[in-house]
Amino acid sequence: MRWHKRLLAAGAVTAVTVTAAACSGGQVRGAADSTSQPGSSAGAAGGSADSTFVYVPNLDVVTDWDPASSYSNEIIAMENIYESLTRYNPQTKKAEPRLASSWTSSSDGKKWTFTLRQGATFHTGKPVDAAAAKAAIERTIKEGQGAAYIWGAVDKIEAKDATTLEFTLKYPAPLDLVASAGYASYIYDTTAASGDLKKWFGEGHDAGSGPYTIESWQKGKETELTLKAFDGYWGGWDGQHYKKIAFRVTPELTTAWQLLQRGEVSFIQRLNSQLFAQAGGTDTVQTSQTPSFQNLLVLFNTAGGPLKDVKLRQALQKAIDYDGLVAAMKGSGVAASGLVPEGLLGNIPGMTPKQDLAGAEALLKEAGYGPGGKQLDLTLTYAQGDSDQELLVTLLSSALDKLNVKLSAKPLQWTTQWDQGKAKDPSKRQDIFIMYWFPDYADAYSWFVNVFHGEKNVQFNLSYLKDAAIDKEIDELPALTATDKAAAEKAYADLQNKIINEQAAVAVPYVQNYQRAYAKSVQGYVDNPAYPNVVFVYDLKPGA
Amino acid sequence: MPRYLIRRLGQAVLVVAGVIVLTFAVMRLVPGDPAVAYAGPKATAAELAEARRRFGLDDPLPVQLWNYVRDLLGGDWGTSLHTRQPVRDDLFQAFPASLELVGAALIIALVAGIPLGIAAARYKGRLPDLSVRLSSMLAVSVPVFWLALALQTVFASGLGWFPVAGEYDASLDRTSPLHLYTNITAVDALITGNWPILTSTLSHLVLPALVIAAYPAGVVAQMTRAALIEESSRDHARLERALGFGETAVLTRFALRPALNPVLSLIALVFAYSIVNGFLVEAVFNWPGLGRYAADSIRSLDTPAIAGVTLLVAVLYVIANLAVDLLQGVVDPRVRAR
Repeated sequence: MRWHKRLLAAGAVTAVTVTAAACSGGQVRGAADSTSQPGSSAGAAGGSADSTFVYVPNLDVVTDWDPASSYSNEIIAMENIYESLTRYNPQTKKAEPRLASSWTSSSDGKKWTFTLRQGATFHTGKPVDAAAAKAAIERTIKEGQGAAYIWGAVDKIEAKDATTLEFTLKYPAPLDLVASAGYASYIYDTTAASGDLKKWFGEGHDAGSGPYTIESWQKGKETELTLKAFDGYWGGWDGQHYKKIAFRVTPELTTAWQLLQRGEVSFIQRLNSQLFAQAGGTDTVQTSQTPSFQNLLVLFNTAGGPLKDVKLRQALQKAIDYDGLVAAMKGSGVAASGLVPEGLLGNIPGMTPKQDLAGAEALLKEAGYGPGGKQLDLTLTYAQGDSDQELLVTLLSSALDKLNVKLSAKPLQWTTQWDQGKAKDPSKRQDIFIMYWFPDYADAYSWFVNVFHGEKNVQFNLSYLKDAAIDKEIDELPALTATDKAAAEKAYADLQNKIINEQAAVAVPYVQNYQRAYAKSVQGYVDNPAYPNVVFVYDLKPGA
Repeated sequence: MPRYLIRRLGQAVLVVAGVIVLTFAVMRLVPGDPAVAYAGPKATAAELAEARRRFGLDDPLPVQLWNYVRDLLGGDWGTSLHTRQPVRDDLFQAFPASLELVGAALIIALVAGIPLGIAAARYKGRLPDLSVRLSSMLAVSVPVFWLALALQTVFASGLGWFPVAGEYDASLDRTSPLHLYTNITAVDALITGNWPILTSTLSHLVLPALVIAAYPAGVVAQMTRAALIEESSRDHARLERALGFGETAVLTRFALRPALNPVLSLIALVFAYSIVNGFLVEAVFNWPGLGRYAADSIRSLDTPAIAGVTLLVAVLYVIANLAVDLLQGVVDPRVRAR
């Protein structure tokens, strides 16, 4: 054998040996590494190809399997595996029954009694009763991770009997909305593992009560996760339902679109405007466009720099080309009306802002700036790589240029942008900070308490607004939402008027739109912005 | 030879050490707080402090570097901020898929490139030569991302000859579970006789492997052509012609073997290059390799994962270079003396 042949042979043998040694050998990929769950069966799955709903996310699905701390993209799977006491309906703007069939609250909003549905069981085979629900919520609170803070108002939980769960709160809060949260509200079997429960979850097990349970999870693989029907689901499997869900991770949007066109997948989480338009004209595909609960906030520095002058902040609000921006976004955003997106208590129709360059010029002149006056220099930070924000900045810079305002805009990674916004030295902070905001549960309170309530140490109040009257009104919101929805609605309207019009602490250019594309055969899909990107697959019907 | 080997190994170790220091510096110099990336944008001050303590971010930089090197040597490549798994485990999971893709691409490159190089040398200055030179020039210069999208649109989405994306049909996991020995799907399917997964994997491999093969095939064809032309002008070729061997026989029976030596050396270097070049191709064809892992890591500013990928690729480059150096040392004693 010649030297180079020997070398090649040795190289090939070494490569295979090294890989074999490096990787765990002898495992089985596929059916044998599925996580078997008591109470579930492959028989329920049916096995026909058309009963599998194939969801295409752009990112890896699972980061954290623990229902107590899960706070990421896995919500798209978790909401099909786990259930909470209630589920939010954006049409009625109310929480609706899920594991709890009904609930009542005391007149002061500090005592809430939930009646649990009978006949629900966990995938572990154990019944979903009040004691189990109490144990799950108490564990989530004790773990204190992810969105566990949503239970902050809870003082005591009592299981009065098998179906009655009573919460005593430290202060009034809308617990029916809290219980509908997309994160940290799951009811699960805390006795599922004999050892470390977190570790057991981390291995790809579940202990939920939802319609689907984990069949296989292969981190890093294209089809990362497969769920199968849970035979013992309280809703039953009569009628037409998808019996399996496969999550096929596809980061490249054009690839996802081609898979949908070929009928290989059922649902694409996100498409760009161009592909979305193409999808709209394709016979075998349906599209839907729904405003999300995520809006863009342009926060003006109310505490320092030139924008301390409210007239200048108002001028900037008027300089933004709201209509032009939404038109240029080609459907990926809709005009915002106030600070609270549509579908939430507190949304005010008719508060959509309009560009008013003459008004902006007049206000600038009053403050000693504008055309013919002093040049106003402003700094702005926004998210790197976000094309919609980039568009806003371009339009704003161009409009301000005509008004003798020089905008120095910096695209930054979130952590850098946030660090600068929180800088202890106010002179290092920006004049304008752009960021998205969304609530962890369907309650507008999230915007007000996090973004506009005075803070000792800056976290998300990046307009640095400090107004005792506004703070007081914000503090009263949870009690009002829990006890008197009409009064809460009025308080939200009043606060938005103060924050947007009087203080001019923020401008809200648009609310993000969810643009989905899915197979014609999928029937009954409705987007629920309270659960970002979640498809409640049990509610769908597989068509022909 | 042993002295030469030790010298080259020493240089390789130095390069890897340099890469480790550089990777660490970049991780710490990148703006932004890794604790925020781990704990999430809405994390409380206590959660951020816990994340900082967990990753040793409060320690002085030299201590952090020491801990980083010590952990690396101990096999701990850190924990990914976005997968929450050990980076080493993530890389071991993703790397075999990249190896499978690049391996297939290099086989295609050799199988196509060498005959094309021979044909070009045989018909030097004529139409086959011009065609090979032009096509190899195109193959080398065309952007892989564009080529990937074009092949996918035409041959997968349009004509339906090949699958659009993926490593194999995932439904086979239920009907034909695969026993893993090397974690390279095609190899495991072959050695366990799992024909459904093997055929599915091969059909999924064709398009992405062709795209990655374009560059090395072009280079191999060009280099084979040049080496053969040089070799066929030597004295031994004249003798072979005088003995009555035809031009094709001179090229394939006598000139090819010595001409292939530099080509083999080149393949080692192209292998490491193709791993990185394949990142975009993996993204287009949804191939579950290092590319997707790297892209997700960059998107989420996952510095330990980015550092892990960088280090792995750097080590691959160093190993490939070392292999080439040793190969040349074996072939040409003059190299060892330098």
